[in-house]
Amino acid sequence: MDIKNVFQAKDVPEAINLLDQYGEAAKVIAGGTDIIIALRENHVKVSVLVDISSIKELKEIKTSDDWVEMGAAVTFTEVMDYFKGHKEYSGLIEAASLVGSPQIRNAATIGGNICNASPAADFVPPLLALDAVLTVEGKEGKREVRLEDFLLDKGRVDLNKGELLTTIKFIRLRKGQTVTFSKLGLRKALAISRLSTAVYLEIDDDEKCAEVRVASGSIGKHGLRERVAEESLKGKNLDKAAIDEASKVLSNEVEKRLAGRSSCEFKKDAVEGIFLKAVEKAMVHNGDGSYCAMGTQYYPRAAGKE
Amino acid sequence: MKTINVKINGENYTREINEDMRLLDFIRDELKLYGTKEGCGEGECGACTVIMDGVTVNSCMVMAFQANNKEILTIEGMEDEKGLHPIQQAFLDEGAVQCGFCIPGMVLSAKALLDKNPKPSRKEIKEGISGNLCRCTGYNKIVDSIEKASQYLEGEDQ
Repeated sequence: MDIKNVFQAKDVPEAINLLDQYGEAAKVIAGGTDIIIALRENHVKVSVLVDISSIKELKEIKTSDDWVEMGAAVTFTEVMDYFKGHKEYSGLIEAASLVGSPQIRNAATIGGNICNASPAADFVPPLLALDAVLTVEGKEGKREVRLEDFLLDKGRVDLNKGELLTTIKFIRLRKGQTVTFSKLGLRKALAISRLSTAVYLEIDDDEKCAEVRVASGSIGKHGLRERVAEESLKGKNLDKAAIDEASKVLSNEVEKRLAGRSSCEFKKDAVEGIFLKAVEKAMVHNGDGSYCAMGTQYYPRAAGKE
Repeated sequence: MKTINVKINGENYTREINEDMRLLDFIRDELKLYGTKEGCGEGECGACTVIMDGVTVNSCMVMAFQANNKEILTIEGMEDEKGLHPIQQAFLDEGAVQCGFCIPGMVLSAKALLDKNPKPSRKEIKEGISGNLCRCTGYNKIVDSIEKASQYLEGEDQ
C-alpha cells in the first residue's frame, strides 16, 4: 500500500473535484471491505483515496410516488432496516442479508457492490431484476445509465475518469409486483455466492404472468439478465408446467454459456433449483387454489377476488 | 501525515496518522489498546471488531482517516467504575472463554446485537456472531452466555 493522500469528502461536488484532480492516481473508498484488502495485496495501486462514506446525501433511501432511490453509500444493514416488513421487496432484503457478515454489512455499500463488478456481487441480480437506473455524476454533469448497460465486464463498469456513482433507483413496486432472490453459497455466513438468481414478477388479476425479469449472478462475467427464461414465462399461467419449462430453458442457456468450464455440470442443474426457489418465493398461495404476488396482501385485493 | 479527531471509549483523541494506516493499527499501535486483535486481516474472523457510531465493523477494513469525527467503542471501554459489563460477566459465568483471542470481538458483536434486539432467540444470537470465528470452537457456551447476558441486562433495567 503506497497511499500518499487521503480525503474525507463532505459532499458530492468535493468528491468529484478530487477524483477529477487526481485522475488515475485516485480511487473511491466507501465501506472499504474490498479495497483495503486489494490495496494491501497490491491488486490495486493508487496513491490517493477519496472517502465518500461520510457524505450524507449518499446515505439516504427515499421512496416517492413512482421511484425508490438509494444513495450509493447506503450500507446493506441500512437496506435491510429500510425495507424490513415490506415483503414485496424481499429479494432486496434477502440479497443484502446474505452479504458477508454483520460487520461487513454494516460497512459495505451498495455502490461498492455494483462498481467492483464482481460476477458474484449479491446485490446486483435483484437490482437487475428491478431494471435499476444509476445516476453517475462528474465534472460535466449528471447522466443516467441502466445498471444492465453499466456493467461492462468482470471488474469493469461504465465509469469515466472523475465520475462517481451517486444513486441507484428503480420503479416503486405496486400491487401484484414483487422481487425475490435465491443464493447458493458454500456456507451460511461470509459465503461468496456460487450461484444466485433474482426474479421480478408481476401477476395480473387473471393470475397470468404479466411481466417477468430474471437475473443471475456467478454464471457470467457479471450479473446478467436471463432473457430466454423471461420470454418463456411471459404471458403464461404460472402453473407448474410453465415454471418447469422456464427453468429447463434457463438450464440449457447456462449449459451453453459455461461449456468447457469445470463448474458447468453442477451449475446447469443447480440453476434450475435456485430459479425455482426464487419463483416460488414470489408467489403466495391464497389457500383456495389461487395465488397472488408476494406483498400483494398489503394492498386492497382486486375486485371480485374476495 | 494527516490529523484526525476520534472519540474512543468516551475519550477524545487528536492524533497525526499515516495516510495508509488502518483503524486497527491506530487502535493498537498508536493508542496501545491491545484488546482489539488482528486475526485474518481480511474480514473473515471478526477478532478486530469494534463498534463505530453504534454498529460493529472490522477495524482491519476501515482506514484510520475514515474514523475522523466518529465515535468508537473497543473492548477496553466495556468496563466501567462498577466493574465488568454484564456481557463480560456472563461470558465468565458461563465459562465461554477458552484461548480468549476471539472474545473481545465476540463481546462487542454481542453488545451490538443486544442493543438492537434485547431478547434475541438462539438463532438470532448465532446470526449476530456469524462474523466472529472461534477456533477453539466453543460456540455453544458463547451463545449460552449471550442468552445469560440478555437476562442480566433485563434485570439491570428493572
